[in-house]
Amino acid sequence: MLVQAVASGLIAGSIYALIALGFVLIYKSTRVVHFGQGEQLMLGAYLVLVLHTFAGLPFGVAVFLALVVAAVVGVLIDRLVCAPILRTPPLTKIVAMLAVGLILREGTRAALGSNAYPFPFLLSPVPMTVAGALVAPANLAVLGVCLTTMAVLFVVFGHTRVGQALRAACENPTAATLSGISVPFVFSVIWAVASVLAGIAGILIAPLVILNPDMGFVALKGWMAAVTGGFTSLPGAVIGGVLIGVIETLSGTFVSTAVKDATTYALIILVLLSRPSGLFERQAVKKV
Amino acid sequence: MRRLAYVLGIVAFGVSPLVLSDYGLYLLTLIAVVSLIALGQNIVTGVAGQASLAQGAFAALGGYGAALLATKLGMPIWLAILLAALAAAVIGYLVALPALRLEGPYLALVTLAFTAIVQTVLIQWVALTNGSLGLEVPALTLAGRLIKSSTALYLVVLPVTAALIVVAARVLDSRIGRAFDALRQSEVAGRTAGINPVRYKTLAFAISAFYGAVGGGLQSLLTAFLSPETFGILESIYYLVVIVIGGLGGIGGAVVGSAVLVLLPEVLGPFRQYQGMVYGVLLLAFIVFAPRGVYGLALQLGAAARRAALIAR
Repeated sequence: MLVQAVASGLIAGSIYALIALGFVLIYKSTRVVHFGQGEQLMLGAYLVLVLHTFAGLPFGVAVFLALVVAAVVGVLIDRLVCAPILRTPPLTKIVAMLAVGLILREGTRAALGSNAYPFPFLLSPVPMTVAGALVAPANLAVLGVCLTTMAVLFVVFGHTRVGQALRAACENPTAATLSGISVPFVFSVIWAVASVLAGIAGILIAPLVILNPDMGFVALKGWMAAVTGGFTSLPGAVIGGVLIGVIETLSGTFVSTAVKDATTYALIILVLLSRPSGLFERQAVKKV
Repeated sequence: MRRLAYVLGIVAFGVSPLVLSDYGLYLLTLIAVVSLIALGQNIVTGVAGQASLAQGAFAALGGYGAALLATKLGMPIWLAILLAALAAAVIGYLVALPALRLEGPYLALVTLAFTAIVQTVLIQWVALTNGSLGLEVPALTLAGRLIKSSTALYLVVLPVTAALIVVAARVLDSRIGRAFDALRQSEVAGRTAGINPVRYKTLAFAISAFYGAVGGGLQSLLTAFLSPETFGILESIYYLVVIVIGGLGGIGGAVVGSAVLVLLPEVLGPFRQYQGMVYGVLLLAFIVFAPRGVYGLALQLGAAARRAALIAR
C-alpha cells in the first residue's frame, strides 16, 4: 500500500517538478511569475490533438511539431508581453501573465469547445507489477521523460558554454551584457525552453485527465512546488515537485481522496508562511 | 456636478423598471452585485496594493454561508447574508494575518490556493453543501412580501448596493483609505510615517472579504441556486479583470468594470464564445497601457473636454 502510494506519488511528483522547473527558469531570468504557464501546458496537449487526431500526422511528428509551436508561442509571449513590461510594478506583471493565460485558455475554449477529446497514451496504460507496486508503462514513460528532461537541463545549464551564458544573464544582466551576451536573446531562449517543458508536461498529463481547456490549473501544484523550493532554486523545484506528489498521493491514500487537493494546498500555505522564501532559498534581501 | 450625477442616478433608478424588460432589470441587478464583489477586490488590490486572488472564495463563503444559515437554521435570508458577510470578514482577517509577510506573486499564489481550497471543500463536503449537485437558495421575504421577481429584486438590491457603496466611499476617504494608499505605494515609507502594516493589511482583507461575501450572498438571491463550479480560480481572476478594466483603486472602476463584465456577452451576441478571449485581451491592454481603466480614461476625457471648453471661451 505504502509502496504503491509512493510510486504513484513519484510519478505525479515528476510532472509537478517539470512544471516547477519551467516556472523557476522564467522567474530566475526575467523575474516574471508566469501565471499563464498552465495554459501553455494545455496548449501543448491541444496542439498534439489537432496535429495528430485531426490532421492525421503520426504521433511522434505531431509531438515534435507541437513542441516547436509551443516554443514559438513562448518566445512570442516573451517578446510581445514580457519585454515591454520589464520595468513595471509587480502587480502589473502578475496581471499581465494572468491575462496571457486567460487569452490562451478562452481562445482554446472558443476554438475547440469544451468537448472531451480522447488523447493517445505514450505507452500502454495497462498496469504491471514492479517491485511490489502496480505501475503502468504509460506512467513509467512519464517518469522517464521527466528524468531525461531534467538531466538534459542540468547538463546544459551546468556544463556547457551556452548554459554558462544563460546563468550569467540570469544572475547579472548588466554584467552579462557587458561581456557580450545578448540578454534579450537569452531570455527568449529560456522562454522557449520553459515553453517546451510545459508542452511536454501537458502531453504527459493529457491521457491521464480529460483533455479540457481548464486542465492548465494543475500547474498550480507545480507552482506550489516551485515555491516550496524557493522561486530561484532549480533543484529545489524538483525536490518540491516530488515532495508534493508524494505527500498528495499519501494523503489521498491514507486520509481521503476527497481532501487530497485541499491538504496539499494547505500544506504549501503552511510552508510559505513559515519560510516565505521557500525551503531551499536563502532569505531574500529586499531592496527598499 | 456631482449632485447632478446623483439626481440623474436616482431618476434612472426610478425610471428603469418602467422602461426596461425583466431581463434588463436582471442585468442591472447583476451589475450591482458584481460591483460589490469587485469593490472588495479594488479595496484590497487597487487601493491597498495587495495581490489578492481570493475574492471568488469570499463570494462563495457569502453565498453558501447565507444559504446554509437560512436553510439549516431557518434564518431570514437577509440576516443570513449579513452574518455570512461578517463571518467572511473574520476569515479574511485570519487569512491575512499569516499572509502579511508575503508579497506580490507569493501572496497571489497563497490566495489562489485559498480559493482552490474553499472550492474543493464546497465540492467535497457533500453532506453540508450538496456538492456538485448544487444548493437551492431560499427566497427573500421582506415584511411578508416575497422578493423574487426581477423588478422586486432590483428595487431591493440596488438601494442596498448604493448604501454599501456610500459606506465604502466614506472608508476610502478617511484615514483608513489613506493608509491603504500609502501602503500600496511603499510599505516601508508608510511604516516610517507611523502606519501599522499589520493592522491595515488585515483590515483591507477583512473589508474586501465583507464586500465580496455580501455581493456573493446577494448574487445567490439572483441566481436562486448555488453551484461550487462557479466559485473557483477562474472567478477570482475575473474579479481582477473587472477592476483592471474598470479602473484600479476606485469605486467608479469597480462599477464600470462590472458593467463591462456583465454586458460584454450581451454585446457580443453570436460571438459570445469569444467573451473570455476578449476579457483577456482587454485585461492585457488595460494593465499595460491604461491601468486607470475605463473609468480613469473617462475621467481624463472629461477633464480634457472641460479644458477645451475653457480654452474655447
